[in-house]
Amino acid sequence: MRIIKLFIKNLKKYFEYALYSAKAELKSEVANSYLNWIWWILEPICMMLIYIFVVEIVFKSKEPNFPVFVFIGITVWNFFSKMITISVRLVKTKKMIISKVYLPKYILVLEKSFVFAFKSFISFGLILILMLLFRVPFTMYLLSFIIIFLLLYIITFGLCCIIMHFGTYIEDLTNVCTIGLKFLLYFSGIFYNIETKVPAPFNHILVNVNPIAFIIDGFRKIFMYATFPNIMIIIGWFFIGLLLSAIGVKLIHKYENSYVKVI
Amino acid sequence: MEDVSIEVKDLKIFYRVLTRMSIKKSLLKFHRNKIIKKEAIKGLSFRVKKGEVVGIIGKNGCGKSTLLRAIAGIISPDEGSIDLKGNSVSLLAIGVGFNEELSGYDNIFLSGMLLGIEKEQVKEKLNEIIDFSELENDIYKPVRTYSSGMRSKLAFSITAILETDIILIDEVLSVGDVSFKEKSYQKIKELILDKSKTVLLVSHDTSVLLELCDYMIWISDGIIKKEGNTHEVITAYEAFMKKE
Repeated sequence: MRIIKLFIKNLKKYFEYALYSAKAELKSEVANSYLNWIWWILEPICMMLIYIFVVEIVFKSKEPNFPVFVFIGITVWNFFSKMITISVRLVKTKKMIISKVYLPKYILVLEKSFVFAFKSFISFGLILILMLLFRVPFTMYLLSFIIIFLLLYIITFGLCCIIMHFGTYIEDLTNVCTIGLKFLLYFSGIFYNIETKVPAPFNHILVNVNPIAFIIDGFRKIFMYATFPNIMIIIGWFFIGLLLSAIGVKLIHKYENSYVKVI
Repeated sequence: MEDVSIEVKDLKIFYRVLTRMSIKKSLLKFHRNKIIKKEAIKGLSFRVKKGEVVGIIGKNGCGKSTLLRAIAGIISPDEGSIDLKGNSVSLLAIGVGFNEELSGYDNIFLSGMLLGIEKEQVKEKLNEIIDFSELENDIYKPVRTYSSGMRSKLAFSITAILETDIILIDEVLSVGDVSFKEKSYQKIKELILDKSKTVLLVSHDTSVLLELCDYMIWISDGIIKKEGNTHEVITAYEAFMKKE
């Protein structure tokens, strides 16, 4: 209870810092690269073209409105995987700041999450444009976007806090994460439909047990199929996400002041 | 009853050598590896009154920087306690924490906010900081393009102008070129004369310490070897160092 109070207090205190820092980071990314913000659009589009080539041409698989279908998968995946990859070494990369001034270390995760959430919003904007191009009708279900995104955000935040904590102490967690992410990449149905491509009992199990698969499927339901994902499972994952965040924040809170000693 | 702004009690800080590990090492190693515990600070107690300037002296590696980091809240004490009585604190050390990719301008805001100062207040002091740092138009360039002198100047300007209640200074009196050195020295003196600021000063430059400090603490191997009148402590320290 005390930690939750402290967490909220710190969130208020450092929110402006995280926001400013995220903005400045995005700005410097634009200033320092040749094609600047075009990359934020170009990257997911190139990924989409690669998957279209592999899935539709090489494997000759058919999925209606495949570009929209795969773009949703890529957008969710980019947010999740980039957050995890960066969190493993986050404390070490921010060594300069951490060793000079105190800040609650989950603020580092928060700041990164703002950066990647912004990029994913651009990506979601592109999905809407693609939907127009492929004549996928816009429905009222689109409004529930915020619920699914919040779910993705909370699960990612919790996991990233935990991973950041252990990544500080365990040198080769980076390798474990790389393998874990590869595994998850193929089991989340980013470029194929789990419901139709995975044999009967396993497809439902996979969608409901793997949060990323569930979230991707959820976004597709509200963007493309005008249905809503199972509300009970959403609540279940929300609960697990909050639990992960609580564990992560608690771990960081307990050990953050010794991070400086090991980096 | 005098106004105390820093109270350190029985402070102990350990460094566990070997805490960073790899999964392979911990899987293959059945017998538990002995954790080498290095004590950086072995029980320090002292008080600093409000407005006082306290110098800390000692050999390299005796725990001075660790002590300052602990007071700044960056490292938590393993035993004992540090009580700052609610004062805001900033650590001024060589190469203050900048975000390398961002411009000096953005870093001023970020550092300020990390010191617990509101964005608006930073904005008010912005011009003063930029003027003091002598960086002029370079302030809009990313910090990674700065020379070490420029970084130190910027770091010093931020901390010196956005004054916190307690200022911890770690060997930064020799920042930049001769003219900036003189200017920063004057600024520190100004801060020191301001009786609402408490200053802890780590330096090897005994003449500076003699001029600025009201009180002196000599740390040796993580404990206080001698404390008291600046002149007496420094004389003893110098005599001791000569003997070694």
